[in-house]
Amino acid sequence: MSDTTPDAVTRPPLRRPRPRTRATKAYRAVRSYLYLLPAVACFVIWIYGPLAEAFMLSFQQWNLLPTSPKVWIGLDNYRNIFDLPKFWQALSNTWYYLVGLLPLAVGLPLVIALFTQDLPARSRNLYRALIFVPMIVPPVVAAAVWRWLLDRNHGVVNLGLQALGSEPIAFLSNPDIALWTITFITGWKLIGFATLILSAANASIDGSLIEAARLDGATKWEIVRDIRLPLLSPTLMLLVLMVVLLGAQWSFAYIHVLTEGGPLGSTTNIYYLLWQFGFGSLAVGWSSASAVILFVGFGLLAAALFALKAKVTFHDD
Amino acid sequence: MMTDAAGMAPPRTRRRRTRSVFRNWDTGAGHALMILVSLVCVFPIYWMIVTSLRPANEIFSTKLWPDAASLENYAYALQAVPMQQMLINTFIVSVAVTLVQLLTGILAGYAFARWRFHGSAILFGAIALTWLVPLQVVMIPNYLLVARMGMIDTLGALILPHFASAFAIMLLAQSMRSFPSEVIEAARMDGANHAHILWQVVVPNLRGTIASLSILIFITTWNEYFWPLLLTRSPENSVVQIGLQMFISAEGTAWGPLMAASTMASLPILLIYLVLQRQVIASFMKSGLR
Repeated sequence: MSDTTPDAVTRPPLRRPRPRTRATKAYRAVRSYLYLLPAVACFVIWIYGPLAEAFMLSFQQWNLLPTSPKVWIGLDNYRNIFDLPKFWQALSNTWYYLVGLLPLAVGLPLVIALFTQDLPARSRNLYRALIFVPMIVPPVVAAAVWRWLLDRNHGVVNLGLQALGSEPIAFLSNPDIALWTITFITGWKLIGFATLILSAANASIDGSLIEAARLDGATKWEIVRDIRLPLLSPTLMLLVLMVVLLGAQWSFAYIHVLTEGGPLGSTTNIYYLLWQFGFGSLAVGWSSASAVILFVGFGLLAAALFALKAKVTFHDD
Repeated sequence: MMTDAAGMAPPRTRRRRTRSVFRNWDTGAGHALMILVSLVCVFPIYWMIVTSLRPANEIFSTKLWPDAASLENYAYALQAVPMQQMLINTFIVSVAVTLVQLLTGILAGYAFARWRFHGSAILFGAIALTWLVPLQVVMIPNYLLVARMGMIDTLGALILPHFASAFAIMLLAQSMRSFPSEVIEAARMDGANHAHILWQVVVPNLRGTIASLSILIFITTWNEYFWPLLLTRSPENSVVQIGLQMFISAEGTAWGPLMAASTMASLPILLIYLVLQRQVIASFMKSGLR
């Protein structure tokens, strides 16, 4: 406390400072840990401890029944998983989910944010309120509603398509389409959120930069390309990071409610595969081994993306 | 901003006119785009509510509003599944998780913001990194832990793993760091201890942050699906998200009741949003921007 106000110094303390006994000293040494204890205990018990346990279980064979023994089998689980076509299918499906999500959850919101910056504030606020609705709706509700909208016989989307003269589309039971349907629903939930984040970043760009460029005769597109996009790049990278690291995870509820990973495993991503191994076929070792693979893989991916983010983003300072 | 720019530009009439035409066209296209996107975002929710109000013989109708709106789907949904109990359960879990996460977050945030101690950077890093561990990765050990405690199929098990959240701790630590230290020093001069400062000085002044954090935690917990899916066995001990699934069956879904149940499951969230729209948006954006 270097800057005590004179007022504070002249005012007599209500209570005398307690004498520094050994007990208070000891308390001062541990009090920060005491304040942290509930939170840290929670993370140790529910996240880091289980992570270590999952690692141990990945070398064992077990079927989740308390009565049956756990058998140590070394790296067999990993070997078996890497030999499994289903694993590679889930991995490539995960990749498709991400590739499909990026245009919906980053590209389209970017276009919307840039396009709507000049709209009058009142209508912009209304649009904002409307496009944000999907974000707060429970994922299971979103899944149920889209299941109804996309129903093959009575869904309003297919009725609309038929009115336009098209054949009804089996959005959820055609193996070539189902994955993209689920990607779309995942993206649908994120559009509003991503748009708002990008609009906020776009609005915070220093107006004088834009002015200066305009006076120099820059076209609208040149302003977007040379000023807005570089200044938006940190936010864009953040969104890409979020989508890549969490996107496949977000789709779990839709997969489970809408397709259960099918048809023919075409919508199973790596998170859903973990669930199927663990609680579908009670293969604890397999599930744990793929959990470790997933964790290490996404950890490396996150590290790479953070490095990339530090490298490519343009800082305005 | 843009109009100022136009005003500052050299007043050449022809150029200004082409520009304003261009801008009008731009604004029109902007509106069109936004209306389209807004429709895509809101229509499904509207359709859910409308379908839930259709009587059974009108369920496949495509009219934008039912001829004779009825609540029979709601009545059916409420008696087919213990919907009421599930809604109450979800409410209990969401409120409990919100309160506990605020408590652990406030304590931990205060420790990080006020004191320097050994390992604080490591602890903070370890907490921040928890979001790298998806629930799917630790689900089996977590499930086993709950089973060992004999808590499968209880509401308590839905609350316990959510005792603390990295986001709450980080947000609160951040806003406590920017809390004016003069105020705290003045309270200390008056002889207040840390507990007093935290609960009587710091917390009341962080009402805004705490309120938006509560909204975010409540909505996130209300919407949670994966963990209850793992743990609950009987409908009476379950949350409403699980209840929805019971209306979807392989031999044909009862769309009316499903939509009624969906409406009930999202009603509290939609009501919060209707009343506190700005705060909800702000708190979600904070969670992304941090």
